[in-house]
Amino acid sequence: MLEVYIWFYAGCTLVIVGSLATVIGPGVKDPLVRTLNTEIPAVGLSLIFLTYNHTIALLTFIAATSIITLILLRTIVRLEEMGAEL
Amino acid sequence: MILVPDVVSPVVVAIYAPAVFVGIIVALIGLFGISIEKNDLQVLILTDIVGVAMLIIVAAVGTDLAESLVLPGLVVELAEILAICEILMSREMRKTGKSVALIPTPLNFDMEVLQTAPVFIAIILVIYGAFLSGFTGGAIAGGGILFYVMSLTVRGLPSDLWEGIAGASGIAWCLWLIGFIILFVFPNYWLLGLMLAAFGVFIKVAFKAGLIGVMNREEFRKE
Repeated sequence: MLEVYIWFYAGCTLVIVGSLATVIGPGVKDPLVRTLNTEIPAVGLSLIFLTYNHTIALLTFIAATSIITLILLRTIVRLEEMGAEL
Repeated sequence: MILVPDVVSPVVVAIYAPAVFVGIIVALIGLFGISIEKNDLQVLILTDIVGVAMLIIVAAVGTDLAESLVLPGLVVELAEILAICEILMSREMRKTGKSVALIPTPLNFDMEVLQTAPVFIAIILVIYGAFLSGFTGGAIAGGGILFYVMSLTVRGLPSDLWEGIAGASGIAWCLWLIGFIILFVFPNYWLLGLMLAAFGVFIKVAFKAGLIGVMNREEFRKE
């Protein structure tokens, strides 16, 4: 019933809005907020992969995104503990 | 004029132009953000956006080729972010003279579930992965091995076991290459080539995930 294109264009919208939110969104001077905002384009890209039936790419992308988020969050926290200006 | 083979489905052809267009827009947004930002860590976070744009453009091809190109892109992005994070932190450590541990809390648990559950879960995941074979099976079996190693790391692990596994991973990769060569040079033996490639990549991916556990052990031993 729902056409394939709906998921594709929903993904495109999420990617564009999410990347705008990451670049000029409110409060992005805080690196924590900016890192969490990158999850929005990640969800949009997942929808695009889903439209194209790229199963293994989707699987790897989800795993890689979660690992990247973990690394970035830990780096931010460690840098803040060291007292670097962010 | 664009040449499109018949095997590409019309759905993919219809959304090719919008996908490339969206990819270019997102790349421009991300590069604009990088150009106005001065802090290194913020720039590193923004490279994620450019990476997403790259993946959209690659995915727009829409065939198996896209899938095989997305995987190395992701791995390279992961390695790059890991390396740059380490560089940023070591630079800051040298500047301030302070050092902060990788793991915030000391990892000294002594729980019974850490001795019984990992073996069971790891065995089930490895068997299921062997049944699947190929890349997915390797990822699942590797997850099992990784879980086992991580939970043993907390209590200490026999040391030279995992170095042997690193060697086996290299040999399995050779099997994978031989399988591919057989597919191209002797197409009549395609079943042998397919099986060699499938199980070679299964063993390799499974043991690569196990190797992450070895790296973790080296990291924890320092404390």
